[in-house]
Amino acid sequence: MTEASTKQVAASREAEELATRPKIVGASVKRTEDPRLLTGKGAYVDDRKAAGMLHVAFRRSDHSHALIKSIDCSAARKADGVVAVFTAEDMSEVNAVFATSRMKNYYATPITGLATDKVRYVGEPVVGVIARSRYLAEDALELLDIAYEPLAVVIDPEEAAKPSSALLHEEAGTNVLCSREFKTGDAEAAIANAAVRVSGRFRFHRKTPTAMENRTYLAEYEPGRDELTLYTSSQVPGIIRDALSDALDMPGSQLRVIAPDVGGGFGGKASLYPEEIFVAFAARRLGCAVKWTSDRMEDLAATSQGFDQIVDAELALDAAGNAVALKAEVIGDVGAYSIYPWTAVIEPVQVVSFLPGPYKIANYHGRVRGVATSKPPTGPYRGVGRPTSTFVTERLMDMAAQRLGMDPVALRLRNMIQPDEFPHRIGSGIIWDQCAFTECLNAACAQVDYPNLRARQAEARAAGRWFGIGVACYAELTGIGSRISVAPGMPINTGTETAKIAIDSTGAVTAAFGVTAMGQGLETTLAQVVAEHLGGRVKDIRVIQGDSAAVPNATGSYASRSAVLAGGAATLAAKEVKEKIIRAASHLLETAPEDLIVEDGKVSVVGTDRALTFRQLARAVYLEMGRIPADKREELTSTKTYDPVFGTSATAAHLAVVEINPDTYEIKLERFVVAEDCGRLINPMIVDGQVHGGVAQGIGAALYEEVVYNDEGQNVTASLVDYIIPTATEVPPIDVVHIEAESVTTLNGFRGMGEGGTIGAPAAVANAVADAVAPLGIDILELPISPERLFRLIENSKNHKDPSHGHET
Amino acid sequence: MKPPPFDYFAADCIEAAIQALADAGGDGKIIAGGQSLMPMLNFRLLRPSILIDINRIPDLAYVRDDGDEIRIGPLTRHRILETSDLIAKQFPVLHEAMGYVAHLAIRNRGTIGGSLSHADPAAELPMMSLLLDARLEVQSNAGRRTIEARDFFLGALTTALEDGDMLVEVRLPKLREETGWAFEEVARRSGDFALASVAVIMDSDGDWVSDIRIGMMGVGETPMRATEAENILTGQRYSEAAVAATVDAIRAAVEPNTDLHASADYRRHLVGILAQQALAKAWDRSRRASR
Repeated sequence: MTEASTKQVAASREAEELATRPKIVGASVKRTEDPRLLTGKGAYVDDRKAAGMLHVAFRRSDHSHALIKSIDCSAARKADGVVAVFTAEDMSEVNAVFATSRMKNYYATPITGLATDKVRYVGEPVVGVIARSRYLAEDALELLDIAYEPLAVVIDPEEAAKPSSALLHEEAGTNVLCSREFKTGDAEAAIANAAVRVSGRFRFHRKTPTAMENRTYLAEYEPGRDELTLYTSSQVPGIIRDALSDALDMPGSQLRVIAPDVGGGFGGKASLYPEEIFVAFAARRLGCAVKWTSDRMEDLAATSQGFDQIVDAELALDAAGNAVALKAEVIGDVGAYSIYPWTAVIEPVQVVSFLPGPYKIANYHGRVRGVATSKPPTGPYRGVGRPTSTFVTERLMDMAAQRLGMDPVALRLRNMIQPDEFPHRIGSGIIWDQCAFTECLNAACAQVDYPNLRARQAEARAAGRWFGIGVACYAELTGIGSRISVAPGMPINTGTETAKIAIDSTGAVTAAFGVTAMGQGLETTLAQVVAEHLGGRVKDIRVIQGDSAAVPNATGSYASRSAVLAGGAATLAAKEVKEKIIRAASHLLETAPEDLIVEDGKVSVVGTDRALTFRQLARAVYLEMGRIPADKREELTSTKTYDPVFGTSATAAHLAVVEINPDTYEIKLERFVVAEDCGRLINPMIVDGQVHGGVAQGIGAALYEEVVYNDEGQNVTASLVDYIIPTATEVPPIDVVHIEAESVTTLNGFRGMGEGGTIGAPAAVANAVADAVAPLGIDILELPISPERLFRLIENSKNHKDPSHGHET
Repeated sequence: MKPPPFDYFAADCIEAAIQALADAGGDGKIIAGGQSLMPMLNFRLLRPSILIDINRIPDLAYVRDDGDEIRIGPLTRHRILETSDLIAKQFPVLHEAMGYVAHLAIRNRGTIGGSLSHADPAAELPMMSLLLDARLEVQSNAGRRTIEARDFFLGALTTALEDGDMLVEVRLPKLREETGWAFEEVARRSGDFALASVAVIMDSDGDWVSDIRIGMMGVGETPMRATEAENILTGQRYSEAAVAATVDAIRAAVEPNTDLHASADYRRHLVGILAQQALAKAWDRSRRASR
């Protein structure tokens, strides 16, 4: 045996041990899905082939805003291999879907499979061609003749908000699809009387989630039973099932939505899409299987985008550095439609909801408007609003520290909600249950030896180097329960999840959930939770997820909820099954229940070698009649729903170290540290991986990623040559420090953590870049900060123009 | 993103390939590594009637020492150039530049013939061919001829190749062993197209610059030689002032584009910075070699 394979065996033995030892929650168990996913044996929607399957290609709008005058499909219908060509007219029996909300000042736009009468962004699907192959379908697209009457372009959100603007949705009477205001105290008066005021017009540019797997939908249809199964690369199969039931007038019993292996989501797969409605409709209409796989161009043109906000904000402090007031006016560019089910409200409102962040600020006034423009709808994207709110507040903190001549860490520690001050209600009304603000910041600083790092910076500066250090602190709400809506006023329940655990007659354990993994390792972490509370072994527990038929009601994975909610439900159900195991074993082994222990997949009598494996036990319960009295026999199953009611929070401090080349303005990240509290860790290795991925996306937001629409409403970043995301070479080593302050409000003390990396990193990087160029008198108010924008800021400051503006003028 | 329909022909010799090109009457396209062509087909930016595959033609991939020249076959993959000892010894500047060509997966497939024929103004090999005074051997049904690199690049993605032409060999005249060199590039991410790049080869005679060539890319419609700047420095004593004058001449000579990633002003700034760095390195190397 070679040394490498000896090591491998040793490593797998070690993993085996971890996977079977009693304390399973908290162990870095290797991801059980990885052997499948990493060797190309995953089964994504596009891997699935149904007999007689047809393929869809969409003709998408090349106009930003236009009336559809006529569509001539005759030539396309005759093209080689084409089976059908559908327009909105053909879909009249399909009901439009509306993302309704109880919120005032909100307009819900209709969502349909294909554009009806009018197109509202470049890339909106107008005609669906269905052919024997995708190649033939795309060839036929060129034969479609669509006449448009162009309308005034609605592309700048500030212009679009004006009454004089052309309207995307005439029925709404305005492009302002939503507005909201939060007020605590008297921010205006406090600002007027404050010793120190810092302010800026902050710009966070539009991003797209760019999951590795593009969106893919396959609808299979059984005409004899009128049964439709949609395989979808979705984070929310339960939500899609319910929405399609309304759209197609089909009962849930005939409609099943399955998300198999899903290759990344980041929020971009958490909404209902027109293409999903279309594929389901077409399969039912044609009576056969229909598949659509997005290509990258379509993904960049039509998957929900995010983070597109303009924030005018001002922070006021007293002379000692105590923050007294925060005021913000936010415009969110929400794109052309209010996305289902989250509404156009979700992201812009989260910006004003989270702006006060981890700080005690007595007076707060935040106003927000969500404005429709001719761009794809914005939807949830990892972090949702909080990357922007954290960027703004954390930049203001650094600007204030600079003005006061204080260290930015010291200023933060002074203003943070202290450990003994929880629960704490911030100015927007959010209540932090128990957050580790100061603990995280202190831990991040300790990890880098902060005083020493500042000394290194002083040396570097003296040598003419541009060296910067940036921190960012935040909290987010995670694992929220039924009393808080993920999006304000949204009528669907996002506060519960259900687990169905069964030991079958072979002794095998199946745990079924309505949540969905998009790569975050739920098959492992949920198995760990089940194993711990059931007394099973991780490797023996088959986790089923992403299937709307698995449980009566579920939504899916979004808003950092699955570990808390599905983990909670798993705990409740596993405990009940374990009680049933003990009761059955008590009969079989003729032992008092308190003398039995269940672990490693068997139940044993304490202090003896008498034991039953799950297999032996299950055979006795299900097959060997008479061993347990008939009236005492119980199925070894449990279905439990968990509702954390209010839910919890998660906290982190991010610290970035950058060096900028003073000649070329290239920005290099030297180091990145995250100190985070996601409560009790289920699997530290998986948490690290989630943090790394989130930080990489946050670095993208800070330095690289920007969806750009030109004045004609054309997306000029329609390929990955122009929409650039960080690769491994652009991401520095990331240290993760775990605080592990258990949540007091959730079962098991878990907190959600999947989004956090993306929330802190943009602000930390922005602060580090700003710190590096501080000697030049430059502020960073716009992300991403590219070498080009830095060049312009520096040129402007040399010419004594406005040094805060990175736009080309 | 599926290509429009096309015919496919796998040529087994150069003659068959150029015959197929001729038969296609200007609608044919040669496919080698496919690293630029396939995306353009999938975007339906190109609609050739036929793809002529040259991957099965024997003996089109080579790097050979031929006395005064190094001869490179058109089907030679970037990765072969990058790892060739002969290239590293004869043209260290090319060896260095190859590491900047896209990503490893692309370098494994992409070819020198494809890169030169495609003529992206921000690609390394067209600029290198210009810097190294490459002679490009071209063959068509009418016969074989040589095009100097300086006459080859006519515009962005436009070359002196005629419809029936196939690039069949690249010949690089050898440099003196003492020749100093440098390659400098700035891109948004590692492996991206250059925002600006400067390469220099330089011979020195004591404190004097006896010969210099400066190549640039990403700052115009084609890769460029900084001819005026070369003239300023040739025969001059190397000095800070001479370098400054050279850099000024370079910045004045370029007319870069503004695009999403960099403005013309920033590119002009960059090309000067990179020229300064490249000149210093090349000078240093040439002095060290001649000591």
